[in-house]
Amino acid sequence: CLHISAKGLSQQITLSEKNAPLKKVLKEVARQAGISVVYDETLLSTFAPVNIDVKNVTVKEAMDVCLKNQPLAYVMEGKRITLVNVMPERVADSSITVTGRVVNETNEPVPGATIRIQNSSLGTAADGNGKFTIKVPNSKSVLIVSFIGYDSKTVAISGNTLNVQLKPSQTALTETVVVGYGIQKKSVVTGAISSVRAADIESQPVTRLEQVLQGRTSGLTVAASSGQPGSASSVRVRGITSFNNNNPLWVVDGVVVDNGGIGYLNQYDIESVEVLKDAASQAIYGARAAAGVILVTTKKGKAGKMTVSYNGYYGTSAPAHKLKLLDATQYATLRNEAVTNDGGTPVYADPKSFGKGTDWQAQIFNNHATRQNHEISISGGSEKSTFYTSFGFLKQEGIVASAISKYERANFRLNTTHKITPWLTWGENIGYAYDKSTGIGNTNNEYGGPLSSAINLDPITPAIETDPALAAGAPYKDNAVRRDAMGRPYGISPVVGQEITNPLAYISTRLGNYNWSHNIVGNTYLEMEPVKGLKVRSTLGAKISFWGDETYTPISYLNSSTISPRTSFARGQHQGYNWNLENTVSYTKSFGLHNLTLLAGQGAYMENRTKDVTVTFYDIPADNFGDASLNFKSAQANRISDGNEGIDHRVSSLFGRINYNYGEKYLAEGILRRDGSTRFGPNHKYGVFPSYSLGWVASKEGFWPENKVVDFLKFRGGYGTVGSDDIGDLAYLATIGSGRNYTFGNGDGEKYLIGYSPNAPSNPDLKWESTSQTNIGFEATVLRNITVAFDWYNKKTNDILQKPRIPYYVGAIDNPAANVGSMKNSGIELELNYHNKLGEVEFSAGGNVSYIKNKVTFLGNGVKTLADKQERFQGMPEIVRTEVGQAFNSFYGYQSLGIFQTQQDIDNYVDSKGNKIQPKAKPGDFRWADLDGDGVITDKDRTFIGNPMPSWTYGVTISAAYKGFDIVVFGQGVSGNKIFQGLRRLDITNANWQTKALDRWTGPGTSNDNPRLTDLDKNKNYTNPSSFYLEDGSYFRIKTLQIGYSLPGTVTKRIGLQKIRVYVMSENLLTITKYTGYDPEIGGTNALSIDRGIYPQARSFMGGLNVTF
Amino acid sequence: CSNKFLEVAPKGTFLESNYYQNQEQAFNGLIAVYDVLGWQSNGFVTKVGVLDAASDDHYAGGGGSSDIMAFQVMTNWTVTPATGPQEDLWKKGFAGIFRANTLLAKLPGVPMDDNLKKRYAAECKLLRAFYFFDLVRFFKNIPMPLTPIATDNMYNVLQVPPADVYKQIETDLKDVIAEVNLPDQVDRRSEAGRVTKGTAHALLGKVYLYEQKWAEAAAEFKEVNGETPGQLNAKYGYNLVPDFATLWKSDATAKFNSESILEVAFNSVSGGVWSAVGSTDGNLLNIQTGPRNYKRIAADAPDYVSGWSFLVITPELFNAIHYDPRYNATVLNMDSLVKNNIATYDPKAGYMNTGYFLNKFAGRVSNQSKGGGATELNYPQNLYEIRLADTYLMEAEARVKAGEASGAGSRAYALLGAVRARVGLGPVLATLDNIFNERRLELAGEGHRFFDLVRTGKAAAVLGVSRGFVAGKNEILPIPLLELENTKLEQSKEWGGTK
Repeated sequence: CLHISAKGLSQQITLSEKNAPLKKVLKEVARQAGISVVYDETLLSTFAPVNIDVKNVTVKEAMDVCLKNQPLAYVMEGKRITLVNVMPERVADSSITVTGRVVNETNEPVPGATIRIQNSSLGTAADGNGKFTIKVPNSKSVLIVSFIGYDSKTVAISGNTLNVQLKPSQTALTETVVVGYGIQKKSVVTGAISSVRAADIESQPVTRLEQVLQGRTSGLTVAASSGQPGSASSVRVRGITSFNNNNPLWVVDGVVVDNGGIGYLNQYDIESVEVLKDAASQAIYGARAAAGVILVTTKKGKAGKMTVSYNGYYGTSAPAHKLKLLDATQYATLRNEAVTNDGGTPVYADPKSFGKGTDWQAQIFNNHATRQNHEISISGGSEKSTFYTSFGFLKQEGIVASAISKYERANFRLNTTHKITPWLTWGENIGYAYDKSTGIGNTNNEYGGPLSSAINLDPITPAIETDPALAAGAPYKDNAVRRDAMGRPYGISPVVGQEITNPLAYISTRLGNYNWSHNIVGNTYLEMEPVKGLKVRSTLGAKISFWGDETYTPISYLNSSTISPRTSFARGQHQGYNWNLENTVSYTKSFGLHNLTLLAGQGAYMENRTKDVTVTFYDIPADNFGDASLNFKSAQANRISDGNEGIDHRVSSLFGRINYNYGEKYLAEGILRRDGSTRFGPNHKYGVFPSYSLGWVASKEGFWPENKVVDFLKFRGGYGTVGSDDIGDLAYLATIGSGRNYTFGNGDGEKYLIGYSPNAPSNPDLKWESTSQTNIGFEATVLRNITVAFDWYNKKTNDILQKPRIPYYVGAIDNPAANVGSMKNSGIELELNYHNKLGEVEFSAGGNVSYIKNKVTFLGNGVKTLADKQERFQGMPEIVRTEVGQAFNSFYGYQSLGIFQTQQDIDNYVDSKGNKIQPKAKPGDFRWADLDGDGVITDKDRTFIGNPMPSWTYGVTISAAYKGFDIVVFGQGVSGNKIFQGLRRLDITNANWQTKALDRWTGPGTSNDNPRLTDLDKNKNYTNPSSFYLEDGSYFRIKTLQIGYSLPGTVTKRIGLQKIRVYVMSENLLTITKYTGYDPEIGGTNALSIDRGIYPQARSFMGGLNVTF
Repeated sequence: CSNKFLEVAPKGTFLESNYYQNQEQAFNGLIAVYDVLGWQSNGFVTKVGVLDAASDDHYAGGGGSSDIMAFQVMTNWTVTPATGPQEDLWKKGFAGIFRANTLLAKLPGVPMDDNLKKRYAAECKLLRAFYFFDLVRFFKNIPMPLTPIATDNMYNVLQVPPADVYKQIETDLKDVIAEVNLPDQVDRRSEAGRVTKGTAHALLGKVYLYEQKWAEAAAEFKEVNGETPGQLNAKYGYNLVPDFATLWKSDATAKFNSESILEVAFNSVSGGVWSAVGSTDGNLLNIQTGPRNYKRIAADAPDYVSGWSFLVITPELFNAIHYDPRYNATVLNMDSLVKNNIATYDPKAGYMNTGYFLNKFAGRVSNQSKGGGATELNYPQNLYEIRLADTYLMEAEARVKAGEASGAGSRAYALLGAVRARVGLGPVLATLDNIFNERRLELAGEGHRFFDLVRTGKAAAVLGVSRGFVAGKNEILPIPLLELENTKLEQSKEWGGTK
C-alpha cells in the first residue's frame, strides 16, 4: 500500500487531467484534500486512465468522477480513503444478497457511502439514492458502513434488507498533531499533548503568542507579568519544575527560540501550537525539555487557487478596575489619626477643607487607548511550489500613562516549499519582525513608576500647581521642576517623597524613550525520499536578532530625593545569533497490521552568541529626547560605555525514536536522546534521556461492544526522563572576577585600580538536572459528540541545578554551581469538548481544568530552606520561602489572631508561664500567634500562610453559529492561590491608603482585621509579613467574547470574494474576583501573585474584519 | 558532532587555575583585598552606618521606620537573628579574609620580585588581621580560616575561642611589623591608602587595648604617636592636621593627610548605579546623612545636597558638643539654618528627625560626581578607620589604665592635651572620663562610640533605658541565621545559642 498523508480537511478540489493514470489523479486529490488514500498498487495499475475536469468540487465529487465506470468503491474514514475492489468474487453458497439504503441524520441519502464486509476486502458503495446491494458470505457477516464526515457504523445482518443511518463525525480522532520531528495521527499518540488550532488563535486579540495558550489547554499556567502592551507572560508547563528557569522550550517550525523571543510571531500566521506535557512526548527534545516544550507551526501554502486574506481589528482599551483610594479629606483625617495614635498632634487642622483632592489614578489612566492589528496573507502555489506569505502590523497603546506606554510591531513571513523532483523537497520558513516599545519604566515595583506613585501619593498635592503664588515658592522656585504645556509646575508632594513622584512629571522625563528590536527567525530544509517510506531531512535554522534602546534623561527635580542634576543620553545596541542544524532519517513501513516508524537524528545547537554595547553621554546640551544626540560630544570623562559578550552555549545531540502500532490498536513508542553541553565539564558532559510509552485503543478490540456511549477509547501511559543544563556558562569552572576595585593615591596621582579575585569554588562534577515523569491518561469519544482527555502525572525533578548557598565564612563572592535539590509536581488534567448541530445551530463547548500540587522534597543535607530565589517586600524579611515539604516559594509570615480590643486582651495574652506575650502592644494592635510557644514574638513564629501558585487553572470556550452569525465566548480562571497585596509604601508613613483603611480599628469592637493606624508601628502590624497582606487570588475572567457575521456565500461570490466576515469583540470583558488590587493575574520570576502595583490588563472593545479573496 | 564543538573558550574570563601568573595579577589580587575595606551592601548597609545607628550619638533616621532595617533595628535594639546588619558585616569580614588567604596561598607560586612579594604578603596579613578584629568584636564566636577553605571541608569548619582569634591577630601583626619590605611611609600621590608599618603598629595597639593589655598597647601607640604628642612623627609622617574641619573634605590636601593611619578610599569615578548599589566605590554615607529636601535660601548658604536624613544626631550628642570648637564641623544644625533664613529642609520627611545632621559626612554639591552613574552613589569622601587623634587618645587611655599618671607632665596628659590643643582647647587632666569624653567629641559619627561603650561596660547604662539595649545580649551581633544551617557553627549564648 502507498500511504499519502497530508493535512487539512474541507478542501475544494480543482483538477484537470486527460488520460491520466488513476494513481496520479488519486494522489493529486489526496494532496489537495490533505487526506490519505490507501490502495493496492498492483490492483490500481489495471484500471483505465481517467479524464477529469473539475473545479472547486468536494472530495466526494472528485472521487466519484475518478472512479466513474471503474469497478472500484472507496471507503472514507476520517481523513483516509481506502479503495475497495468491487469486482465480484466467488462466494460460498451460504452467501446472502443484502440490499439497503444509507441515510444521514436527517434521512437524506448518503451517496458514495462505503459498505464493507468486516474482516474482508469486499465492499461496495451506495448509489446516488444511497442504495446499495452486496453479497455477504453468510448471515453472521457484519457490515461496516462509512462515509467521510460521518462516524462509521458496524451493523449485523438481519435479513435481506438493511437501512443504515449515519451520524456526522465530530470526533477529533482523525486529527493529526505535531510531535517532535514529525506529525502523528492523534488517535495513535501515546504522550500527553495539548493542541491549540488556528481558529482559536485567530479569535483572540493578543500581542504575544503565549497569551493564546492561557486557558486553552490543560496543564499550563499562564500569567501576564504586566498589562504593558507587548510584554511577556510567565508560562509554566505543569508547574514549577526547577528553581531556575521554568520557561518552556519554544520550537518554531523546528527552530529553538528562547522564551522572550517568540514576540516576533503574529497570531494570524500560526497554524497550530502543541504543548508537550509529559516526558514521553518531550523526551525527543531531551536536554532542554524539562520545563516543557511548546511547538509552534506556522501556516504553509497549499497548491491550487491563490488565497488572499485580510484579518484585522481596531478598538480601544480602558482599565477594567481602579483601586479605591482615599480622597483628600479622608486622607487628612486618617493621617491625623495615625499621628495622634502615636502621641503626636494632628497635622491637618481642617481635613474637610481639602475636599476630594487629586485622583492620581485618573491622571495616568487612559480610557481610550487605541489598539489595532492588521494582517494580509497570500498563499497558494502549484504542484511544484507552494508559498504562504504575510505582512502584519500591530499597534497598541497602554492604558497607563499612554504617552510612555506603547507597542508597535511590523512583521513579515515567507514560508515556501519546492518539489525539485518527486523525491526531493526544499523549503524554508522565515519570519521577520521589527518592534518598538515604550515602557513606563517601573511596573509591579513598589519603588516608583507611575502606578506605584498614583497609589502612594497623597491626594492633597495638586497634579498641577495652578496657584501662581505657590508655583513661585518652594520647592518649585529655583528647582528644575517639570512643567506642563502652559508652564505650570507639576505638583510636588511635600509629604510623600523618595521614588514616589508626580506621575505626570515622571512621564515628562521619559517622553520619547523606546526599545526596539529586529528579529529574524527561520529555517531552511531539504527533504529526500529516495525509497518509499524513507525520508532524510536536513534542517538549518537560525535566529538573528538586533535590539537596543534609546534613553534620554533631562535635568529634573521630581522631589527632594529624586533629582537628576544632569542630562544624559544613553544608547544600547545588542545583537544575538543562534543557529541549529538537525539531520534526521525516518523510515515508515507497514506490513499487515504492523505499522512501524523509525527515526534517528543528530542535532547541533549554538546559542547565546551575543554582543552588547551601551554608551551614555552625560551633560549633552539638549532638553528633550528629540534633540538628544550622540553627536553632542560631551567631555570624554562624561562619556560612559560598557560592553559585554555572551559565551557560546552549545549542545550536541543524538536521538532516536521508534513508533510501533498494531492495527492502530496497540501502540508503543520509545525514545532515546543523548545530549552534550558546553555547560558541563568532562566528567558529565553528556546526559542520556530515555522514555517509553504505551497505548491501547480498547474500542478497536473485537470484543468492544457496539454501543452508543463510548465510540472511542484509548488508554495511554508513559515514563521518561528529560533534562536541563540551565545553570549559565562556565559554572563548573572556578573563574576569576574583576570589579573588586580600590583607589590608591590622592590628587592627580590617584589611581582607580581593578581588583581580581576568585568568584566561587569550581565543581567539576556538575551535571544534568533531570526530570522524570510518569503520565497515565485516556482519551475517549462518548455519546458521539463528546471527547474527553484525562491525564494524571507525577513529575520529579532531581539534581536541581542551582548555586546553593555555601557558608558565608568561606568568603567567596558567588556560590559554586551544584546539583542539589529535588521537587515533585503531581496533578490531573481534564479536557472536554462537545460539538453538535441542533437544527441550523452549530454548537460547541469545550473546557479544560488542571490541578497541580508542588512540593519541594530536598534542598541539600541539613538544609531546610533555599536562601536565594526569594522575594522581599520593602523592609520586611522574605515574604516567600522555599522549604522542604512545602510548595516552592510559598508565602511565609506571621499569623494574626485578630486584634487586641482592650488592654485586658493584651494582659490576658500570656504564655504557659503566665508572662505577657506582647506586653508593649496597645489596643488595636495585632495579636500575633506565638507558634513556638517561647512567650515572645520572634522570627521563629513565622509560618507558611499561602501559595502564590494557583492549584487549579481552567478554561471554557462556548461557540455557536447560526446561519451567518457566530459567537464565541472564552473564559479562563484560576483558584487556590493567594495574592500578596503590597501596594502601600511602608517606609513612607505619609503614603495614601486604600479605602480598606477606613475600616481600621478605632475602638473596642470596631475591627478584628484592620489594625489601628500608627506610623511608629511598634507592634509591626504593618511591617510584619502576615496574612493581613494576603488575599484570595481566585478569579474567573471572560477573556474574549466575539460576535461575528459572515455574508452569505451568494453575496460574497457576487462581489468576487470567498468570504467576508465582520465581528465585534471584547477582551477581558468581565473578571470575577474577590481580589481588591488592580488585577489578580500577576506573573513573576521567582513567585507569581506578588502585587506591588502591577500594570493591569486592559478591557478592550474592538471591531474586526476577515476577508478572503 | 565532534567533541571540539563542545569545547568553549572562556573568552574574557580568567580561570583560577591559570591566574596569579605574574606580578600584575598578584597586584590585582591585592587590590581585591583592599576593596573590602570600602564594603557597602546593596541594601546601603555600611560598617560606620551600623555603628553610628547603634550608638547614643545617633538615631537611624531615614525616611521611615523600615528604611534600611539594619540601621533601624540597631537604633531601637530590635535586632533578631533574622533581621539586622549581621549578615552584611559577616560577609564583609570573611570576604576580606578569603581574598587575603587566596593571595597568601598563591603568592609563593607567582614568578615576581621576592621583596615585592613579601610586601604584598604583609599587606594581606595586616588586612586579614583588621578583618578578623572587626569580626571578633562584632560576633565574638567566629571561625578562623587562615587558608582558602577547601570545598570538601566547607561544612566542617568550627568556631574558635575569641582569645585564639586575638592571638592570631597579634601574630599576624607582629609578622607584618617584622617584615622589612613593608614601608613606613608610601608616596601620598600614587600609593596613599596602602598600609604601612605605622598602620600595623596602630592596629596592634588597638587590638592590645581591646585585650586590655595596657602596657603593650601603650608601647605600640607610642611608636605611632611619636616622642612628642602634637609634633610630627617623622618615621611614619604622622602629625595632627592643624584645622579639624579639613579632615572632612575630599580634596587632594584632605585625603590621606598626615593624620590618616588607616583610611578607606572612595572615589567618584566608579559609575555606581542604582541596580548595583553595593558595587559603587562612592561613599554612600554622604547621601545618607544629608537633610531631606535641603534647599539654599541665602546666597552664602552651605552647598549641602538634599539627602536621606540618616544617622541624625541625638539631642544628647548635640548637648555635649554644642559649645565645643568641633561642633560646627560635626553637627549640621538645620533648625538654626532655617531660623536664620539661610536654608530650608523638610523636617517632617525625615524619620526621628532632630534637626541635627552629621556634618562630617553630609554630601556637598561641590563634591558631587561629574562622571557617570547616579550622582547620589558616587561621592568621593574617604573615611578614617584609624587616625592619629584616635591613637593619641587610645594611648592616653592605655597609659592611665596601666596606672600611669594623668596629670600635667605625664604623657597621657600631653596626648590628650594635643588633641584638645589642635581645636583650641586648653589641657585637662587625663582622667578616663576626660579621655572618653574627648573621644566622643573628637570622633563623633566615625563609628567608634558603640565599641567604646561596649568595651568599657557602659553600653547598658547609656543605651539601656533610652534605646532598649539588653546587657549580656546586645554587646555582640547574632551569628547570621543562614550561617548556622548545615554547618558546625553554633549561635552565641547571648543569642540563645550554645557557644
